Amino acid sequence: MQAVPTFKPTEPIWRVRLQLLGRGLKSSWAMFAESKIGLTGLGIIIFFALFGALWPIYPWLMEHIAWTPEELEAARNAPYGAISSIYQVYDPVVGYDPLIPGIENPTPPSRRHPLGTNQYGRDILAQLMASTGSEFMLGVLAAVITVVIGTLIGAITAYYGGFVDTFFMRLADVFILFPLVSFLIVLGSMIELTLIKLAFVLGILYGFGQITVILKSQALAVKVKPYIEAAKVAGGGHFHVIFRHIIPNLLPLSFLYMMFNVTGAIFSEAALSFFGLLPGIKVSWGIMIDSAHSGGYILGGRSFQNWWLWVPPGVAITLLCSAFYLVGRGLDEVVNPRLRKR
Amino acid sequence: MKWSTRACARGEIVTTLTYPVLQVENLTMHYTTRKGAVKAVENVSFSLDKGEALGLVGESGCGKTSVALTLLRLLPENAQFLGGHVYFFRDGSDEAHARRAVGKPVKILADGQEHQGRLLELGRSELVLEAHVNGRTQPVRLSRDRIARLGVDLTALSDEEMRPIRWKGISMIFQAAMNSLNPVYKVGDQIIEAIQTHMPISIPEARERVERLFQLVGLDRQLMDRYPHEYSGGMKQRAVIAMALACDPDIIIADEPTTALDVIVQDKILREMRQIQKKLNMSMIYISHDIAVIAEVADTVGVMYAGGLVEFGPSEAIFKSPIHPYTKALMSAFPSIKGEKVKLAALPGEPPDLLKPPSGCRFHPRCPFATEICEREVPQFLEHKPKHYAACWNPLA
Amino acid sequence: MNRLWQFLTSGMSKFIIMRLLQIILVLYLYMTLVFIILEAQPGDITDIYTANPKITPEAREAIIKQLGLDKPIHQRYFEYLKNFVTGHLGCSFKWGNISPTPDPICREQRPTWDLIKERLPRTLVLFLTYTIVSFYIGFFLGKLIAWRRGAVIEYLSTVIGVTLFTVFTPWFALLLVWIFAVNLGVVPIGGFINPDSWTNIRQVGSVDCSIGISCSNVVFNHMLLWLGGLTLLWGIVYLWSRRLPYAWQRRAVRWGALAVGLILAGSFFGGGWLGEVDRVVLARDTKFQFFVWELEFPAGTIPLYPLVLDFVQHMALPILTLTLISFAGTMLLMRNTMLETMREDYVIAAKAKGLPDDVVRDKHAARNALLPVVTSLIFAIAFSVDGGVFTETIFSWPGMGQLLLLSALEQDYPVAIGALVFTGIFALVAHLVADILYAFLDPRIRYD
Repeated sequence: MQAVPTFKPTEPIWRVRLQLLGRGLKSSWAMFAESKIGLTGLGIIIFFALFGALWPIYPWLMEHIAWTPEELEAARNAPYGAISSIYQVYDPVVGYDPLIPGIENPTPPSRRHPLGTNQYGRDILAQLMASTGSEFMLGVLAAVITVVIGTLIGAITAYYGGFVDTFFMRLADVFILFPLVSFLIVLGSMIELTLIKLAFVLGILYGFGQITVILKSQALAVKVKPYIEAAKVAGGGHFHVIFRHIIPNLLPLSFLYMMFNVTGAIFSEAALSFFGLLPGIKVSWGIMIDSAHSGGYILGGRSFQNWWLWVPPGVAITLLCSAFYLVGRGLDEVVNPRLRKR
Repeated sequence: MKWSTRACARGEIVTTLTYPVLQVENLTMHYTTRKGAVKAVENVSFSLDKGEALGLVGESGCGKTSVALTLLRLLPENAQFLGGHVYFFRDGSDEAHARRAVGKPVKILADGQEHQGRLLELGRSELVLEAHVNGRTQPVRLSRDRIARLGVDLTALSDEEMRPIRWKGISMIFQAAMNSLNPVYKVGDQIIEAIQTHMPISIPEARERVERLFQLVGLDRQLMDRYPHEYSGGMKQRAVIAMALACDPDIIIADEPTTALDVIVQDKILREMRQIQKKLNMSMIYISHDIAVIAEVADTVGVMYAGGLVEFGPSEAIFKSPIHPYTKALMSAFPSIKGEKVKLAALPGEPPDLLKPPSGCRFHPRCPFATEICEREVPQFLEHKPKHYAACWNPLA
Repeated sequence: MNRLWQFLTSGMSKFIIMRLLQIILVLYLYMTLVFIILEAQPGDITDIYTANPKITPEAREAIIKQLGLDKPIHQRYFEYLKNFVTGHLGCSFKWGNISPTPDPICREQRPTWDLIKERLPRTLVLFLTYTIVSFYIGFFLGKLIAWRRGAVIEYLSTVIGVTLFTVFTPWFALLLVWIFAVNLGVVPIGGFINPDSWTNIRQVGSVDCSIGISCSNVVFNHMLLWLGGLTLLWGIVYLWSRRLPYAWQRRAVRWGALAVGLILAGSFFGGGWLGEVDRVVLARDTKFQFFVWELEFPAGTIPLYPLVLDFVQHMALPILTLTLISFAGTMLLMRNTMLETMREDYVIAAKAKGLPDDVVRDKHAARNALLPVVTSLIFAIAFSVDGGVFTETIFSWPGMGQLLLLSALEQDYPVAIGALVFTGIFALVAHLVADILYAFLDPRIRYD
């Protein structure tokens, strides 16, 4: 009698999974690329990412493009506040230009300072660039935390149901109603918030709120699908079903809502720094607007002449927030087949 | 006016004095999509008499619903009307109807003769038609009291001009009735809305009318003040039928009236619809993909395939001796309880993609009798037997 | 009587009662959450409520006793809850007492509740007005844009909508102040009233005007009362008029009620009211003041309308700002839901019935598209409340939002926490109203 041939898979299963993932991503990308809205948003995000990435070489760039050798000489030998490196000029927190006397600040856009300087002599463009990184990091960190919490809780409540379900849903009700920024304002007055702490708080507050409700209903829809039954019959334990089956199906939706959360996170940070409640952060767009405002440059008499102080940061915040929102809307069409055009 | 002897599906033979209410000629329509033009309706022609029940049967996607929507001019934005006429007839003495037709293409039946042209003038005792006779355009004068039927071409009316005809002239029972009732308003109110748009009666009178309609379709009066989500499927269907009857229309189009229901309710509703139709002597167009339904209710049957009408005739003739191979195939798929045991033959292949329909006769790829000419030329819609039309190069029998 | 019983047992009222109970539960959870967060702060909770150097040690003891801050945690929890229910929320560190009868516990400091009571009506007026206006504009525009499709309009509305929706609120508020107040000068830069307009008024009704701005509060509260009361009454008339059979009757009743309401309000605010005044002057507050007038009135009466106008001109810009920010979200959402609803069968059926185009659009499509929009409004309430905080601060509008922010900046904890809890309650009530509105609009979710 012949031996029963054993079946050898030709590919390791992880590679197969990766290939399937790749294919899925490619078709999702094709769909996403069809929506102009999503592409616009993505374009803006990429622009800002590049913008922020440019920050480390910006002073070096300026040194070689914008400054003439005579100016560099003069700066190095200035009577007060001579500089030893160009990085001192463009430092967003303590930078100053030795060739510009203090009282002349703020100065309008010029060759050496493409967006001018603020009332303390800091280069505006440098500040804008330097903050981009922290804005991104904050937004993404908060959003990731939110998604992790929301997905886990959504999946678990849908899977177990009963008391767990009711408890988390009532909790979500409370969190949805939370006037978020108001709460952060009070919190910020009590404890010192740094960027990381803020990201965590935002992540938790968002995570237990609306996203849980939405992911839970999605998880419920997944739970009743036949392959879940099949997995259970095949002997999958609770964790296996939740992590291997339910959660992967929640991920597209989570990713979508992550976009909206990034918007909220950036907005909250800007608002808090505008009101001066984030002493742990040295420079951000919100702080830039705040210093312009408290210096009286916005509502004072000659505000239009000082537009470079407050217009760029406001525009930056608005653009980045709307970029993530647009990407979210574009993703919406991928995730929600109903919204696709004919 | 003519005498018509019809053999109906149930074997009844009816001789009535009848006159046309609808004449559709060469209706052609496309949908414009991103991938191209979907040729949904191609050269469809048929007519409907008073009191007649016409059944349009065909596979899903063959264009039956598109034809119905074209009649009422309810097509979506991406639909393009490419030609044809839809003459909606009313009595010659109907003043409002005649006045609406001024300046539009009309068809007039007078003294047993048919006149076609554009209505130029409408006087009290006579009207003037601009007709094409022998290749020349000339005015034709007709005395109004000799006119039996006046039909206006609906395709030439603007949306605003269609409004009085919608529901009062032609009403429709939509596919999946549950969705044609607005969920936030009471059912009775929605019917009253239809009534009040076309008839100047007060609300109490309208309510009374709705009550009588509900009685006619077999619904409890008190359901008038309930919301659609409180109705069952069958109840919703009846409500929608009542709504379609609300303004005493000349024609009712019933698009898949029972598809969403279970079989028992289906049977009941079909029978009741047939009863109501006979009682009120209504002209109806039934649309269904289910040939059993059509067999139950239709006096005349039109078989559609891939956007075209392939066969048209009295239902007894269609069922007993079909001319077009497709019709025969449909019959073969429908088992007969009484007849001999025949092997059910499923048609090979699939309905064609209407973006790029087959050349010539659209059925030729699946037709067991297809010949070379079928692929080259579109067959003409000819009267092969009395009152029995088909479009086929190789007709059966 | 029978009608009342019918209403009480209808699905609608059952829904309202259920929601009320749920709201109470949620409120309880919210307060517990705030309590937990308070407890989690480094430092003693007694410090949070009493660390003000201005409070005498005896007063501090009294506060500690009254608020139960010296007891173990579970007892403190109950005291905390009880205090909120009875209305004693601690004493402000910053604000001094202004009433002739000082609170026995707070002595020279102003009780938190007092502050909140004074400021709540102002926020309420802003919130109500701009919510209604922005919702209606968003609804109207969204409905129109979806109905008449056109590539240019859709593109424009998306761009403008998304921009306004995501714009950074304080920055935008500053921008508008700069445009309208500083440059164009049509509205005052900020504030609530122009004190100069009120200096000559000695007494309004029975309230003595020499104490702070209590007179303006009285007038303002009356304004709020009339605004709220008239809206409510008109709403009831509107609901009642739905039973009338003819459209012209309904229209007549509604417009008539509006006219009557306006006449009543006009006569109240336009006529004389008890008080004492030398002269009423509406002082110059903006670059191009439209009206400055000096009026002589017989002794013993004050017309209220110049004072009301003072409020109104200060309210104009904040409401404009808030409306601009909020309507975009509603408009975009309405447009999207309307596009989906337009494809529904009952819209085609409505057209098939021969109804005029605008009736199909409004009565059938828009009415159903409204439902998801109202739902989203529920989620957006928290966002609106936040927006209010920013706007009030920028415009120096002395409402709840500004209270929250100022007290947080000054580390006046009792007030900050009290304001936070109240903001939460405010949001909860708004949530309840929105839920009831939704049940009213959608018969499917009532408990029949």
